[in-house]
Parts: sequence; C-alpha cells; structure tokens
Amino acid sequence: MPELLNFDVAIIGGGIAGVSVARELSQYNVNVVIERHGDIGLESTSTNHNLVCQGGDALSFRPGTLHAELNVKSIPLWPRLADELGFPLKRVGGLWLIRDKADFRRYLRLYSRAFKSSLEPNAPYYIPEGSFQPLEFVDRKRLLDMEPYVTPNALGALYDPNLCITDPVKVAKALAENAKANGVEFLLNQEVTRIERQGITYSIYTRQGLVIKSTFVVNASGIEVDRIAEMVNARNFSIVPLKGTLTDFDEEVGRLISHEVHVLPRMEDMPHVRAVLPNIYGLARSGIYLELTYRSDRVIREEAINHNIKVAKELFPEIPFEKHIVKSFVGFMAYTNADTGWHDFVVDIPDYVPNWVNIVLGPAGVSASPMLGKKVVELLMQSGLKLEPKKGFDPRARKGVSS
Amino acid sequence: MRAPMHLTLDIARKMIDAMIRYAQDNRVMPGSFAVVDEGGHVIAAERRDDGLPATFDIAIDKAWTAATMKTSARVLEVITRGQGWRLNVKYNGRLTIIPGSVPVVSGNRVIGGIGHSGGSAEEDEAIAQAGLSAFYREDHIDFTGEDMLRSLRKVADAVINHVTGNKLRPVAITIVDEWGWPVLIYRMDGAPYGYIEVSRDKAWTAAAFKIPTDSVADKVGVNYGVGWNERLVTTAGGIPFNLRARYSQ
Repeated sequence: MPELLNFDVAIIGGGIAGVSVARELSQYNVNVVIERHGDIGLESTSTNHNLVCQGGDALSFRPGTLHAELNVKSIPLWPRLADELGFPLKRVGGLWLIRDKADFRRYLRLYSRAFKSSLEPNAPYYIPEGSFQPLEFVDRKRLLDMEPYVTPNALGALYDPNLCITDPVKVAKALAENAKANGVEFLLNQEVTRIERQGITYSIYTRQGLVIKSTFVVNASGIEVDRIAEMVNARNFSIVPLKGTLTDFDEEVGRLISHEVHVLPRMEDMPHVRAVLPNIYGLARSGIYLELTYRSDRVIREEAINHNIKVAKELFPEIPFEKHIVKSFVGFMAYTNADTGWHDFVVDIPDYVPNWVNIVLGPAGVSASPMLGKKVVELLMQSGLKLEPKKGFDPRARKGVSS
Repeated sequence: MRAPMHLTLDIARKMIDAMIRYAQDNRVMPGSFAVVDEGGHVIAAERRDDGLPATFDIAIDKAWTAATMKTSARVLEVITRGQGWRLNVKYNGRLTIIPGSVPVVSGNRVIGGIGHSGGSAEEDEAIAQAGLSAFYREDHIDFTGEDMLRSLRKVADAVINHVTGNKLRPVAITIVDEWGWPVLIYRMDGAPYGYIEVSRDKAWTAAAFKIPTDSVADKVGVNYGVGWNERLVTTAGGIPFNLRARYSQ
C-alpha cells in the first residue's frame, strides 16, 4: 500500500527555481512539498558562471521578454536576499573587452539601452536609485590597472560594476533550508513516474512508492520539465537540452584574475560564450562551450576543454592556463526557441490544464530567481490559491535539508 | 550518446509522433507535418485525420524553406522585413515565409527541416519546435486517436517490412485519400529522392481511376498524362484499396 500525502501546493524539482518558489510560499500558510532525485541544485543550477545580479548584462536581454523582465527586476532583490540568508555575494564587476570598432559600436548600443530601459522612473523595468551603478567605458590604461594580465590587443572595455559572483548551489541550499525552517516539507530522492489529474486534484506517483495529492502543482523540474508536463498533457512549450562545458582553474590562476572578463560573441564564435572569471572560492572559471545534444550525453569532450582553454588564453595570453586545470564539468540547461536563438523563460499556466504552472528558466535563470518566486506566487493567487501571511515567518531561520 | 548527425525515416517518424501529440494536447486544428533532409526532400510527411488536403504541400514547402535557407521562417520574416513575397515569387512560389518551420541542427550543421501547416502562425511555429525538441530526445512520445492515419501507417509498415524482409531496394511510399491528395509519404533510408514524386504520381493514378496503374493503359485507354491529369503514370507500382472500417455499411 503506497503512502499517501496531502498538500496544497506540490513543487516538482529542487533546483533554484523550485526552492525560490518554495521559499516565497513559506511566508504563507500553505503546505509545500519539493521532490528531487538527489540533493538541492545539482543540475542546471550548478552549471553556470556563478554570476548573479547581472547588471548591464541583464539590460542587454531583449526588452519585452520574460527573460529580461525577471532578470532586471531581480537586481535590487539580491543584496537583501544575501543578507537574510547569509550566502556570499561578491561584487567583482565585469569587463567587456573592446577589440575593434565593431565591438565598440555594439557596446555603445548596449550602453544606451541600459540607460533607456531602466533608470528613468517611467521606464519599462525601473530599478530603484542606488541598486544599480551606471556602466562606464574604460580606456586601455585603466583596463590594465584593473586587470594587469589581460590581452594587450584590447583597446578598452565597457565596465559594469554591478556584476556579482556567488555559489548558486549554496544559494539554493540556503533558500531550501529557510523554506524548511518555515514549514515546507522536502521529499528528497523521489522520482516522479506518473501524474494523474482528477478535476483539479493531482496525484503524483513516485518510483519510491509515495503518492502525493495536491491541488496546485509547480513544475520546475529543469531539464525534465517537458517530460513531467507531458504526464498531464500540460506541455505548451518546447525545449531543447543545451549542454554546457565549463573548466575550472586553480588558485594560482584565480589570484591573477579579479573581474569577469568577456568578449561579445560574434557570428564565428556562436554559440559559445567566451568569458573568464574568478569564483568565490578563489578559482578561475572559463567557458561555456555549448552543444545541442541528447540529455544523456554527459561526456566531457576534448574539443570543449580545448575551446575553454583557448578562450582563456585569448583573454589572458600570459597565464599558462593549461597547466592549472582543476576540473571540467558538464550540465544541461533547458533552452527554448533554439531555431531562432531568441531564448525566453516560460512561467505559465497552460490553457487546458488548471492549477498547473510550468517553469522553464535556462540561461541566466539563477539571476532571475528572486523575482521568479514572486511571479509564481502571483500566478497561483490568480488561479485561486488562498494565501494568508504567516505570523511566525522568519526570513533568516535555517533547518537542514538532506536525504 | 550524441544526437544523430543524419535524419532517418525512424527519427522523422518519431518527430512527427511528438508533433501530433503536441498538436492534440494544445487543441490545434488538424493539419500536416513534414520532415525533410538537408536538400529539402521529404523523408516523412503525414496528414492528421480530417486535416485539410491543402496543408500537406504547404507543410512540405515550409520544411523545404527551412532546410534550404537554413533558418526558420520566423527569422526569415524578420530579415526580409515584409518583402518575403518577392522571394516567394522568385522561387516559383515554393519559398514559404510563413511561421511554422524550423531547421534541424546537429553539430552546428543543418541536417534537415521541419514544417507544419494547419494551425495559426504561432501554433505552427510551436509545433515545428516540438518536432525539433523530439529530435533531441531518446524516448518516443506517442499519441492516441487518429484512427485513419494509424491504419494507413500499418499499410506503410507492411510495405517497409516487405522491402527489408526480402532485401529489396529501398522505396518511397505514398498513400493518398480517395480524392488523390496525399495523407502519408515515407522515404526509406537510402531511397533516392526522385522516387518521391514518382510514388506520388502512381498513388494519384491508382486513386483517380480505381485500378492498378499498370492496367490504366488497357482499361482507360490513355498512356500519358496531359493537362489536368499530368500526374498520370501507367507503369506498375500503384494500387487502389479501400479501408473496410471506413466503407463498411
């Protein structure tokens, strides 16, 4: 006889998206359950540059997309979140190298858009005063002061002082622990095999023998999001798995790099990201080498590592990166609109399936997560979830989540 | 395992299955699906039950456009800035800059195209993307319903089994409805693309005269097509058939 559990909201997936929603919901009197194969934030959450608060970067996303909206609106939320939950958030700043006139023109466009779209109070995504510092162009001399080992070919750079680094896995764990301390139940090591819908009640069956009954379901299962949605015919989006390979270098290299340094991709670079940056543990990270492939394809290819080293050498020619590799790792992100390259987030209730929210984040998903939580709670309230603020909500409390 | 570098009939059928499922889940009007190779030639094309006959060739043309222009119609629409009809005229009406097609990319190379016709522009586009999504999935997404299409698939499967079982040369198979409009085209792996049109012509002839194509010369008294019946073929290869379930009293 399977064990039967009843909840108001079930969140499938314990990545950054799932725990952000859980933490937001834990402010109200609602039971929540999160389930996940192993631990918190192991999949898409851990495969990225560890950048948040993307500042000018977020402003370069296509205006009007959810991708841009959630990222820009999240910028002012990050410092408070870091303060409440006590995870490290280090402001390193980003340097976007200018190699020639064409680069300069593209950055100028970006620069003007960054101002237009956010800093005026009637702009579409207004950012409050003080939470965003303006971008500036730095010349070659100042660039070399900031990054002494950077390539001498650079004419200058666009400097974005807003860029922060953190450890997204730590962020996800902190959010999860806080949610648990505020009454959210976590079911780890539970693999969803089947979901049935009776009217507006969902029964979620797991391979480990649990049956979870719930009125609302938030499908935040990262790269498996389409498979889970198919179980209740709730797939109204398409994703392709985007495999990313990143390479970490040791402290000796990490010491020499203090900013996120990258070049805008050009046609011939596509689709790979060319960036080198420090992480909060003192290592340096390079990548991302991107591929579209099967999601079971977890092989780390030599060409990917070579590409990451080549990119690092291009940006910092004097540093012997190839002798200081710590590890390379791969992970997957869900990517929408792969045919056009116009990626966008999906945060949506499908037309024909009630009380079901699909979340697809993909690139720049971690940065957008604080606003995502609020957005999903809003969606749930619109579709009839009754929420009463909890009296004893403690934004700083922590309680261990482990399997 | 890496995603495949070439499209095969099996992969194309898998993609079409996923597209049909997506269309059903999202209540899209029945239409047609096409998957073509990198040269724009059909590998598999199917029409759902009650799909409009005209959608079949539009879907193929969309897929052809995506494969040969190596980009999706949505992008073409933007970069031609409303002047796409000029290109359409230039290409004798085949180039279709209407959303609903995506190229299939594997290893940074375009290896084919997907097209759907029958819904709104947004629906067509979403369905074509569902096909691309299925290309990057190892598992098979099945659908229910579509009884007519399922029965016709069984006929096509019987042909494929016969060809592979007897080690014959790979062929192209076309099944048309009673009015001669195609419902299904499969091109087996290794079959030259020239056979696609030949098989379409034979299927049309058999359906139009309700006799096997090789007896058309004797019974109808014509041996070449002109004007309205230029699809007419009088060599063996096309046979008419009835589906009992459809016509029984």
